[in-house]
Amino acid sequence: MTANAIVLAGYGLNCEEETLHAFEYAGLKGKIRHINDVIENPSELDNAQVLAIPGGFSYGDDTGAGNAYAQKMKLALWDKLQEFVARDTLTIGICNGCQITANLGLVPAFDKNYGERLVAVTHNLTARYQCRWIDLKVTSNSPWMDGIESMHIPVAHGEGRFMMNEDTFTKLKENGQVAAIYTKDGEAAGGEFPYNPNGSIGDIAGITDETGRVLTLMPHPERGMFTWQRDDYMEAKDKAQREGKNLPETADGILLFQNAARYFEVAQKKSA
Amino acid sequence: MATRIEVLAPPEDGRGKTLEKALKKQGKDVSIRVVDVYSSEHAMAKDDKFVTSLVNPVTQKANDLPKDFDWALEIGFLPGVTDNIGHTTSELLELAGADNDNECYSSRLYLIKGDLNQTDIENLSESLSNTLIQRVSIKTGAEFKADGGMETIIPKVHLDNKGAVADDVDLNVSDEELEVIGNQGIANDDGSRRGPLGMSLLYMQAVKDYFAKEGRAAKDIELETIAQTWSEHCKHTIFASPIDDVKEGLYKGYIKRATKEIRESKGENDICVSVFSDNAGGIIFDDEYLITDKVETHNSPSALDPFGGAITGIVGVNRDCIGFGQGAKPVINRYGFCLADPRTSPEYYRDSAKTTSVLSPETIMKGVIDGVEAGGNQSGIPTPQGFVVFDDRFVGKPLVFVGTIGLIPREINGKPGHEKKANAGDKIVVAGGRVGRDGIHGATFSSVALDEGSPATAVQIGDPITQKKMSDAIIKEIRDLGLYTAITDNGAGGMSSSIGEMAEQSGGFHVELEKVPLKYPGMAPWEIWISESQERMTMAVPPENVDELVALFEKRGVEATVVGTYTNDERAKITYHGEVIMDMEMDFLHDGNPETPLKTTFTRGGEEEPSLPAPADQAETLGNMLGRLNICSKEFISTQYDHNVQGSAVMGPLQGPGRVYAETSITKPALKSEKGVVLSQGLFPRYSDIDTGAMAAAGVDLAVRNAVAAGVDLNQLALLDNFCWCSSDEPERLGQLKRAVEAIYEIAVKYETPFISGKDSMFNDFKGFDKDAKQVKISAPPTLLASSIGVIPNVDRAISLAPKAVGDVVYLLGETKDELGASEYYDLHGRLGNNVPETDSHQNLRLYKLYGRASRDKLIASAYALNYGGLAVALAKKAIASQMGMDIDLSGIDLSTEKAMYSESTGRILVTVSPQNKAKFEKNFKGFEHCYEIGHVAYGNTLNIQNVLKADIEKLDEAYKKPLKDY
Repeated sequence: MTANAIVLAGYGLNCEEETLHAFEYAGLKGKIRHINDVIENPSELDNAQVLAIPGGFSYGDDTGAGNAYAQKMKLALWDKLQEFVARDTLTIGICNGCQITANLGLVPAFDKNYGERLVAVTHNLTARYQCRWIDLKVTSNSPWMDGIESMHIPVAHGEGRFMMNEDTFTKLKENGQVAAIYTKDGEAAGGEFPYNPNGSIGDIAGITDETGRVLTLMPHPERGMFTWQRDDYMEAKDKAQREGKNLPETADGILLFQNAARYFEVAQKKSA
Repeated sequence: MATRIEVLAPPEDGRGKTLEKALKKQGKDVSIRVVDVYSSEHAMAKDDKFVTSLVNPVTQKANDLPKDFDWALEIGFLPGVTDNIGHTTSELLELAGADNDNECYSSRLYLIKGDLNQTDIENLSESLSNTLIQRVSIKTGAEFKADGGMETIIPKVHLDNKGAVADDVDLNVSDEELEVIGNQGIANDDGSRRGPLGMSLLYMQAVKDYFAKEGRAAKDIELETIAQTWSEHCKHTIFASPIDDVKEGLYKGYIKRATKEIRESKGENDICVSVFSDNAGGIIFDDEYLITDKVETHNSPSALDPFGGAITGIVGVNRDCIGFGQGAKPVINRYGFCLADPRTSPEYYRDSAKTTSVLSPETIMKGVIDGVEAGGNQSGIPTPQGFVVFDDRFVGKPLVFVGTIGLIPREINGKPGHEKKANAGDKIVVAGGRVGRDGIHGATFSSVALDEGSPATAVQIGDPITQKKMSDAIIKEIRDLGLYTAITDNGAGGMSSSIGEMAEQSGGFHVELEKVPLKYPGMAPWEIWISESQERMTMAVPPENVDELVALFEKRGVEATVVGTYTNDERAKITYHGEVIMDMEMDFLHDGNPETPLKTTFTRGGEEEPSLPAPADQAETLGNMLGRLNICSKEFISTQYDHNVQGSAVMGPLQGPGRVYAETSITKPALKSEKGVVLSQGLFPRYSDIDTGAMAAAGVDLAVRNAVAAGVDLNQLALLDNFCWCSSDEPERLGQLKRAVEAIYEIAVKYETPFISGKDSMFNDFKGFDKDAKQVKISAPPTLLASSIGVIPNVDRAISLAPKAVGDVVYLLGETKDELGASEYYDLHGRLGNNVPETDSHQNLRLYKLYGRASRDKLIASAYALNYGGLAVALAKKAIASQMGMDIDLSGIDLSTEKAMYSESTGRILVTVSPQNKAKFEKNFKGFEHCYEIGHVAYGNTLNIQNVLKADIEKLDEAYKKPLKDY
């Protein structure tokens, strides 16, 4: 059996199609579901192994990015969501999905305390939307990040700045729950713009829950999954042509989705 | 009792910090706390459950403001202005258990500590707000304390119900009075006027005659409907009227004819599928899909409220896409702004008393950029393609271009995707936002010049999320179920246009106006009918499908309502609570406007060619050229526009490691197809000062050449025309127009690049007063924006502007002539000159065909189509983009050094070619006399033009990027 992914949509989420494409390319089965349909029929989550909350602009970022959508999910789906993450499943929130996941308290969920809001993902320090390519160093053992050391993928957000109190920050680091940080020349960006595009504390680009199965990430792996999507594609294509080589079809971003596929293949083999 | 919830952001909030930084630059040291305020009269607004849903407990606090500040500045909306945050807040209140008819309102409070005086705080307030749509409250810290905080304001709309009937309008009056009605609108009981109908005496007389024939008085709603339908904005009367000896008018006689001739000539290679007949033009993308394109302008509203004008423009043109055929999915946005220098502060007023000042160029620039940002980003549509052109004559009326490209299956439910038809008996269904007073008279208003009578109600603010919900429901679900037979958007003229136009397919309509959902009670019937409230689509739905369609919309949080029936009785009929308030012949409504033959004159402009001394320091002059507003980098726009959402960006707005702001983009709109969509544009407003024909031809040529340079075959390319003219009631301006139209007919036919869609805006004039209260009229230079759209078979054929490797050979393709008239170089010296670039379409066509062969064979490593600033600027941009040096020799160009460097002759492409492809490349261009090898890409960090200059690339880079860096 191939694992099933549900990619949420509705109310201004807008990256559901390319996110689904990433899962399908990686070998998963998946479908896009409007949040109202999932609320109407929550048992759909019982048959899914992967839940993705993609990027977008749910409710126009009004009252804080991801806030209103998270409120809606919490009111209508909270029990089901808790059940879902308690099972051996994978959850990913990308960009707006990251903000929603953080507002839901699906991360960091210290001591399995899902639902507690401990991190805010808020206005960029530049107070301006930033669409640009950045470099990430992976700092976690999350199954999503298995075998990945660094990634070159884009960000596109107005509110991507992780803020939290000192305790939470320390605990995240100690627990290895920081998933990835923004870097400059391979080292932590140290808050320097534009390498760290939003002023995030500790250059944090994403975090996980304690199990690593719930990942929340501001950058967009699905926009950097193929070589032709990369910002240096023109240069790479020319170089390959001169050297008589073929460019690889995929780029860094696809690895996350392939990891998801592999996670369930391995699990299946174990159980078999 | 109204509730006010104040949510305090943390001290390190980015919004406050950015403001602090901006004030610091002005020498003011302050600290700012940002407070998001939500107000509501609903009883449940006090509930904890609701309040906590507005607060992020990690960083924010509710109703616990700091005490220590010197000023409190609050900005909220005026009654009736779209409040998107308020709208979301209402939904949260609903989630907390309130009924769904609650109203919430948002505002923002700044608590400021620091040494600011009254003037400083007023200046700050002015920079943060627009009093046309917003209210501002300012208190000192002491006042705030004494009053116990800010007032709770509920900006609810209260209309008296007196207006809620249709009035008779007496047209049996003198011609003078008819003219007043046409110019200023129908009189209210108190003698005030309702705002311009924008109808000439000739039109008013035709209306008078019609109602005399019907034997009754006209109702106000009928007059307003005719005014909308016959407006320049909707009817394009200037392009449709006989002009000189061209009986069929400019549109049919030139633009439409060009397309027809090209399509016939191309035969089975014709790429056009739907031209000029729908909300956008459509060409073939591949076997499965069509690609559509439409470019709109939103100039007049943007002059008054730049943010609202631009966001309404972009979400409006998105709807043109959704309303193409059975509904196309928006996949790319375009933008373009023609603005005055943001670093200047010209003083102009709308009134002689100098009370209403024109917005500053900087305010307009920031506002229109933000408007497209909010509209495009929130809609999840990538915006990789755009431009900004500066000229101080755009001071009173900026040009704001917005465009949307759509993707639609060639076949939907067994029918061609681009075809639709409303049938008699189909129900009229309107889906999306509710109707308010916003945008009343938008269509008639944009057809006249801006002056002190310009109505504030013409301004509106788009709501991208309401539209996104509606768009997703239609494009991603309902369309493919075949529940409607036709669909169109509500734009200018609101329902009067959308229903009126669709009813032409069936042969009539009957609307029951009381069924239209309103934002607030008390609107007069005519207001409901012509309101331009945004985010609405109109559909024709067979009766048996209505329930299913309405239910599907409801499931997606979208309101859809049946408001009437399409008929075939050839009448345009409206009832309001059973009473007939409009009943006119369809024929009269759509074709009853009298022909107005136009006469033109034409005088070529230009001055004597200057003879300028050679610059003392050539490198410095090149730096000055790169820093000119029309040439320098606009990277700050590209990075705030989401250009890679949908995962489709191939060649983005910033190219090469040196990030040069590019004029051409490539997007892969269907994830499973290898094909790419290439977009570009061309425009040269200043060339009109010499010759509008040269202006228009150069624009079309550049739009084509940019796309060809990026790898598109000429035969896969189509064009869109947007004319933004001025004073189009003057024979001389009409003569300039005719000359431009003749020029683009000739060049389009020569290139065989068909026009597929177009739009015009004919009165871009500002009439007002200068600082001495003297009357002034500032006319925008006559401008044709030519936009190009093409398809490449595989995105691996894309050619970017940045050179790729040291040692590559640099070639200039095309002829450089003594053509600096109206150029950036002459303008740098305050001169106009005479030798404006003339476009040799015959010569260019040869080049583009040869170039196409070379690009198909992948012989070209980089390419840049020369434009503003000519060859030297192109070389510098290439060096900056690649961060590599260049060794160049211009001695082969038979002109003086400055002319060779800065001439803006059209039809030229600067390319680099790898040494291994050199022989093949030269063989490809054998026999073409204008292929010049001028140097190579070099090691090092200098642009070296032999015997002319040696310029540090780092310095060029700085000159290019600095001017607009801090905006």
